[in-house]
Amino acid sequence: MANSRALDKRRKSIRNIRKITRTMELIATARFKKAMDRAAAATAYTERITQLVRDLTKTGLEVSHPLLEKREEITNGKLLVLTANRGLCGGFNGNLTRAGLKRWKEIQAEVPNCTLELAGKKGIGGFEFRGHMPDKAFTHFEDKPTFAEVDVIANRYLEEYTLGKLDRLDVVYMKFNTIARQEVAVETLLPLGSIGDDDGAGGGDEGAQSQYEFLPSPESILEEVVPTSFKVKLFKCFLDSAVSEQIARMVAMKSATENAGDLIKLLSMQYNRARQGQITSELMDLIGGVEALN
Amino acid sequence: MATATANNVGHITQIIGSTFDVEFAEDSLPAIYNALRVQSETKGVKIDLTGEVQQQLGGGRVRCIALGSTDGLIRGQECVDTGQPVTVPVGEATLGRVFNVLGDAVDGRGEVKADEHWSIHRDAPPLEDLSTKTELFETGIKVVDLLTPFVRGGKAGLFGGAGLGKTVILTELIARIASAHGGYSVFAGVGERTREGTDLWLEMQEAKIGDTGKSVIDQTCMVFGQMNEPPGARLRVALSALTMAEYFRDKTGADTLLFVDNIFRFSQAGSEVSALLGRMPSAVGYQPTLASEMGALQERIASTKNGAITSVQAVYVPADDPTDPAPATAFGQLDAFLYLERSISEKGIYPAVDPLASSSRILDPQYVGERHYNCARRVQTTLQRYRELQDIIAILGVDELSEEDRMIVHRARRIERFLSQPFLVAEVFTGKPGEITSLEDTIRSFEEICDGKWDHLSEDAFMYVGAIEQAEEQFKKLQAKGK
Repeated sequence: MANSRALDKRRKSIRNIRKITRTMELIATARFKKAMDRAAAATAYTERITQLVRDLTKTGLEVSHPLLEKREEITNGKLLVLTANRGLCGGFNGNLTRAGLKRWKEIQAEVPNCTLELAGKKGIGGFEFRGHMPDKAFTHFEDKPTFAEVDVIANRYLEEYTLGKLDRLDVVYMKFNTIARQEVAVETLLPLGSIGDDDGAGGGDEGAQSQYEFLPSPESILEEVVPTSFKVKLFKCFLDSAVSEQIARMVAMKSATENAGDLIKLLSMQYNRARQGQITSELMDLIGGVEALN
Repeated sequence: MATATANNVGHITQIIGSTFDVEFAEDSLPAIYNALRVQSETKGVKIDLTGEVQQQLGGGRVRCIALGSTDGLIRGQECVDTGQPVTVPVGEATLGRVFNVLGDAVDGRGEVKADEHWSIHRDAPPLEDLSTKTELFETGIKVVDLLTPFVRGGKAGLFGGAGLGKTVILTELIARIASAHGGYSVFAGVGERTREGTDLWLEMQEAKIGDTGKSVIDQTCMVFGQMNEPPGARLRVALSALTMAEYFRDKTGADTLLFVDNIFRFSQAGSEVSALLGRMPSAVGYQPTLASEMGALQERIASTKNGAITSVQAVYVPADDPTDPAPATAFGQLDAFLYLERSISEKGIYPAVDPLASSSRILDPQYVGERHYNCARRVQTTLQRYRELQDIIAILGVDELSEEDRMIVHRARRIERFLSQPFLVAEVFTGKPGEITSLEDTIRSFEEICDGKWDHLSEDAFMYVGAIEQAEEQFKKLQAKGK
């Protein structure tokens, strides 16, 4: 029989935990709505611009852009893993870190020069624990990543790419499909052509029918559109990741609150039983003593 | 007080349950602890009862505990003072035999021809005779050797609630120790199932000591006062067995093993007669003399310069509550104690020893060495941390743990399972041959698990194996089966 005081103490601490998890759940729900709206707004734009790039590449024109070309020899690879700054979101960070590590090992085996960039404290911690030090780490992305913030990173990548310091960029992030389904996605964002291949099946028919006229010239338009497309793509990854994080937190906190409730119930039962046991034995001692004195 | 003689005859004046009062002539009052005998035949019912004087009530009356059934006893019956306490045969003649509390053989092999009979009430060895040697006693059971090393010439206790396997562990220890042991063994069955006693007796006849061809029973004597016997018998049977063990210690100087199953029944029997003797009940209804009774018994189980008694005692823990006065009193007397935990037996891990609640006096670098001590502490720290994390895991899930904590949980779950071990005596039930793991193997295995050398093995692989290499083998087998 456990000590009733220890049981009560444990129950109190679990009550506190439940308070936290319940609040976290509510906050995550509110944040999720906002992040969701942002992501939804960006989705339409991203899809359209991706389709545009795809169409352009299929127009039959001899368009070429360095970002669209696959390089023969990949000597410089880069892996970007997007995780959260905060925990308490179930398997979110763990799954991303695991997928990221797997990809990182593959890249290390394939590509001679590779760099690792991590966003989110949890991912940084996870990689560092296993002895992989990131070359660059970002911790300033919260639940509302802004385009300006992503733009800085995207511009740097583009610059490195054009200078030949970067031949391939892989991004590991939590892709948002529906509210009930998010999955870890490993995508190659640079060179851009590879996305067109991935998503080709979806918009293929429509794209074939579109006719474009280029003014002043296809080259100048591509010069604008292709880098924007990449930036938007990258921005979308950040947005998806933010939404997924909030959903993961919501789900995790909901079940945590439920679990805490179950545990409190169990402990209350044990506590009451222990307390009643104590009372009974004290009563028995008293009665026994009185009887013996008679 | 007049010296009692064999012809000193009194008459029963009162019978209260398992106690009775006898009136003697004022000048021939029997001494405390003297054995009184009632032998009669009334209406075809034979009565042969021995009682032990507990109190002198004045007016020539004494109050006795009956060491047998008081059924059929009537007032006025004649009662003879034997002039001495209960005596039991001691010496080589007792080996291989089974006795009751009075020292009568009950195995149906005729009378025991012992040269000496000793009184069951004796003084504990004086302080200057006690041995101060401290030496580890290897059992080949991983959890015992690592976390609760037994002391040669010391006392070890097996605490546990109902059905956690105390008797199985005790039987296992007999099988392991007694069969590799050169000296004598004494088994005291106190208030447990008679069937278990019979099982043990038959098993001991089959078991051989090393490769000498001799049965274990040839070096063992057994004394039983099982649960069907009245409280007086259960109260004194431990003393009868202890007296036989003391003889071996004092006269032959041999290392003697004393197994007691179950010392709690001794306290329980004491509590049954306590109120009848007119004592006021104390905490939880136990006798007020609980601690002194236990102390008097335990102090006699001691190793002297002459010879050692190593004892292993099972202690029942009522309602799984270790704060109950009876187990708590026994607890303080022991060098090593194993606490059996229900939640561990529910996981199917046997022996269900709680690695955090169990401990040993000699788990100290001074006695077991730095390496053993550090290894045991590491195992305990890991398991302790796992236990602390369990609430968090239950609420938030294992994903929320930090990387370090997740590693600790990972290893702790493996250590927990690795503490299980197949038993020699359980072979017929489990189909797995018993494993005797050397201390060296045990320490090395646990060190390697703590170092993370075996993180890749699945948890199942650690169940019921000996040294760590067997876990690896089992892992390969499981994998082959999985494919």
